[in-house]
Order: sequence, then C-alpha cells, then structure tokens
Amino acid sequence: MTGVLLFAIFLGLMLAGVPIGVALGLGGAIAIAVANTDAQHWGLLAVPQNFYASLAKYPLLALPMFVLVGAIFDRSGVAQRMVTFAIAVVGRGPGMLPLVAISVAMVLGGISGSGPANAAAVGGVMIGAMARAGYPPAFSASVIGAAAATDILIPPSIAFIVYSVMVPGASVPALFAAGMIPGVLAGLALAVPAILISRKHGFGQGEAEVPRPPFWKSLFEAMWGLAAPVLILGGMRMGWFTPTEAAVVAVFYGLFVGMVVHRTIRFGDLFDIFREAAELSAVIMLVLGLAGIFAYSVNTLGIADPIAAFIAGSGLGSFGAMVLVVVVLAIVGMFLDGVSIFLIFLPLLVPVAKAFAWDPVWFGVILTMMIAVGQFTPPLAVNLMVACRMAKVPMEATIPWVGWLVASFIGVTFLVILFPELALWLPRTLGY
Amino acid sequence: MTRKRTVEDWIAVLSMALLCVITMGNVLVRYFSDQSFAWTEEISVFLLVVMTMAGAAAAAARDNHVRIEYFLERGSAGRRRFLALGGALVTTIFFLVLAALTADMVWDDYRYNETSSGLNVPRWWYTVWVPVLSLAIAFRAGQVWRHLIKTR
Repeated sequence: MTGVLLFAIFLGLMLAGVPIGVALGLGGAIAIAVANTDAQHWGLLAVPQNFYASLAKYPLLALPMFVLVGAIFDRSGVAQRMVTFAIAVVGRGPGMLPLVAISVAMVLGGISGSGPANAAAVGGVMIGAMARAGYPPAFSASVIGAAAATDILIPPSIAFIVYSVMVPGASVPALFAAGMIPGVLAGLALAVPAILISRKHGFGQGEAEVPRPPFWKSLFEAMWGLAAPVLILGGMRMGWFTPTEAAVVAVFYGLFVGMVVHRTIRFGDLFDIFREAAELSAVIMLVLGLAGIFAYSVNTLGIADPIAAFIAGSGLGSFGAMVLVVVVLAIVGMFLDGVSIFLIFLPLLVPVAKAFAWDPVWFGVILTMMIAVGQFTPPLAVNLMVACRMAKVPMEATIPWVGWLVASFIGVTFLVILFPELALWLPRTLGY
Repeated sequence: MTRKRTVEDWIAVLSMALLCVITMGNVLVRYFSDQSFAWTEEISVFLLVVMTMAGAAAAAARDNHVRIEYFLERGSAGRRRFLALGGALVTTIFFLVLAALTADMVWDDYRYNETSSGLNVPRWWYTVWVPVLSLAIAFRAGQVWRHLIKTR
C-alpha cells in the first residue's frame, strides 16, 4: 500500500513539472514517514543519512570531472580540426559529411563523457558545414544528435560511472572497456542509414567539387585533439591513473590545448566554463543524492523483489524479460533523461537482473545503449535538442530522418543482447 | 545567461577548481615520489558535496533543475502558472525540510563527537555545510516563487 503511495506521489509530482530530484526525495520521505509512524521522528532520520551517503562517495568525483572535460573540449577548437582531418580522409560527396560528423563524435566520445556536450561540440562545427553542402538542417541535426549518443558508450562515460556507483559488481574500468565495441558498432550502424539517405536524396552534391583539405597538414593540426583519447584511455589502461584522475589530467590537457595551442579559450572564459560544468554536474548529482532517499524507500518497503519475482515467474524467460526491459526503457527514454532513468529504475531492475543471473556489466551496457537511444528519440531527447537548437529547426522536423537512426541503433542493442561477448570480451581480455 | 555571479557560483567554481588541483597534485606526487596522499580523499569528498549543493542552489536560482516539461509548457496560461508556482513552492518546502533533517544529523555528529574516518577531525566540520546550503537552495527556489507571484 505504502509502495503504491510512494509511486503515486513521485509520478504525480514529476508529471506536474516538479524537479525530478525533489519528486524522488519527497516521495521517498513521505513513504518512509508513513511506514514508520510509531518510530521516533517517523524514521525520517534515514532521509539525511541516505542523501548524504549517496553524495559523499569518492568514485562519484569522476562525474563532475568528465562533465568539465566536456565543457573544456567543447571550446578547445579540437572539433573543427578533427572535422577538417576527417574530410581529408574520406573526401566529399553525398553522405561523406554525415560520416565525418559521426566519426568525429565517436573520437570526441573518447574524450568527453556526456552526450549533450558532444552534440554541442560537433554541432558547432558541422551544422553550418552541412548546410552549405546542401544537407537539410533537420537531417544534419538528426545525424549529430544520434552520433553524439555514442558518447556515453565509448569510454569515458558518465552513464557508466553512475551505474557503477549504484550496482555492486560492475567496476568503472570493466564498464568502460565493455562499452567500447558496442559504441563503435553503434557508430557504424548510424553511418549506414545516414549515407544511404544522403545518396538517395542527393544531399551533399553541392560540395562534391570542392577540393579536399591537404592530408598531412590537417593531420598535424588535428594531432592535439586525436592524442586526447589516447592519453585518457591509454593512461587508464597502463594503470597511470584512475578514471577520476584521467578526467583531471584531461582537464589540464584540454586547458593547455585550448589556451596555449589553439588559443580558443581566454583566461576570462574560465569562470564560465567551470560555472557551467559545476552547475550541470550539480543538477545531476543532486538528483543522485535525492534518489538515494527513493532507493532506500523502495528497498525497505520491499517493492522491488515482488516485481522481480513476478517477472521471473511470468514464463517470459531470460530473453523475453530482457526484451520487456528494453521496450520499457525505450518508452521511458522518450520522456526522461538517462541518469534519472538509472536512478529511478535501477532499484527495480537490479533484482530482476539477479533473478536471471544477468552479468551486471553486460546489463549495464544494454541499459546504457537504451539510454543512448533515448538521447535522440523525440520528444524529450537531450542530444537532439542541442543539435536542433543549433540548426534552428523544431524537433518535429527531424522525425522523417531520425526514425531510421533509432531503428539502426536498437538493432545493435539486440546484437549485444544476443551476443553478450560483444560487450564482455574486451573487459575479460584486458583482465578487469 | 549573463546574470550576475552569485555567491553560490563562486563556491561551486572554486570547489571544482580545488578538486582539479588536489587530484592533479595526487597524480604528480605519486609519479615523482611513489607516495600517495590518501588523506586528500576525505577533503575531495567534502568539496564534492559542497560543489553539488552550491551548484544546485545556483541551478535553482536559474530554474535549471531537470524536470518533465511536457505539461509545464502546454495547456492554458492559468494552468502553466499554477504548475510553475506549485513546483517552486514544493521545491522550497522540500529543501527547508531537508535543511531541518540534515541539521538534526549534524547535531548528532556534534553531540556524539563523531570523527571522520580519514583525518580524525570532527565529522560535523564537513556535514554542517549541508543544512546551510540546503537553506540556500530553498532560498533560491523561494526567490523564483516570489518572482512568479509578482509577475502576473
């Protein structure tokens, strides 16, 4: 009964437009009070304890640091140089600029950990270039929003950090390694429809005659940006630094590149970069802290286990249950942002995963893939929103194009469901 | 976005900068001396909490917290106004309650002489900022509410 109350209050507040964190915290707190009417202070002392304990975790430090990395590289001028280099490699003509956008988004995915920062960096360079080459702005926005979604799969990834903090038995390095192959596959899966659509409609014919940029010169200029993922991922792999430290090293490297090498960041910009990153991380982490109250409530009321038992005993089987999870997440992902989905659903999903003995790392990759899909599925799609704002088109305009990309991305998700080795082979080989 | 910089902005930015410097310092010290500063972990966690709460107050002042905007942006002007006012009011009240509850937690830390696990300093040195900054979030959400009431 209290469980129904918990979800009713939470859903009601959330739909009414109350900040999600407040809806989670208030729903949790009221449920705790109702369930403990005879205890001292109605058991509400659990509220500050769970809030504080959910926030005060050292591994979480990686989250604001990777948000900061995204904010810095967004302005460091590396995206422009990577785009020039990518054009020098693949050339011009129909479908080539979308391919460039997707490849650059994937390389940037190896630096930053959040989709919207990636969409902003790639969009800032590509939207204009694609418009000049004759791609419709809505198509460009779709491709860039979708390409940026590979960011949270390709390590480093904020989604994996949050998942690791919430799920025992899934370490950050293992998740980072597990996301690599699915992330690259997803990028390829996006490139295929993007190129086919461009060819079919003759997009990009406008600049087929423009000469390619010189290869060696553009490679040389793109070096600083291309070296960043090598530094971050290589440094973690070599054991030089932890994920958090890798993020901070990337912060200083990005500041050096932006302020000294490319000179796109001035000293006076620093306050705003740090402010923006601090505020964005705070928004995510406040939800995380308040979700601790919600999760405590869900766990002590014993809501999750009956649901897990119901799904386990429903005769759906392991594959059927996974399909159910994917479908539910695809729907929820249209309305909620990724981190909130983890925070709301993980207390319910972890018992389900346990019931079917799903590998926590593999499960994390699948959930993250569905969250990535949600980042570019209208109506609520953070990446697509950033890209649409830059292309100055309403989100509805992307619907004819973005559906193909969503379908292709979900296709890769099913490949990972059918062949868990796509996610698990790399972390095992690397020994995590 | 070019609003004036608030105290919370400064606290959040300085905490973030300090976190970078401490973590980078750790990497360098370990690289050059094979020693580690394990004790900095506790200070980093403290700064992380302060940055979160201060940044959350800054986000509350700009009304930037994540929410489902579907119903907030649709329907009659009266309903939109009602929902916006309600959201700001619920947020204000929630953080006032959270401030009271966390103050209680800090009082326990103080009363029972709880010490931190790493540096063995009184735990309330760290936790006392949580109710203070909860009040700041409540204050900022309250400002949004008052602004909405005034602009009819």
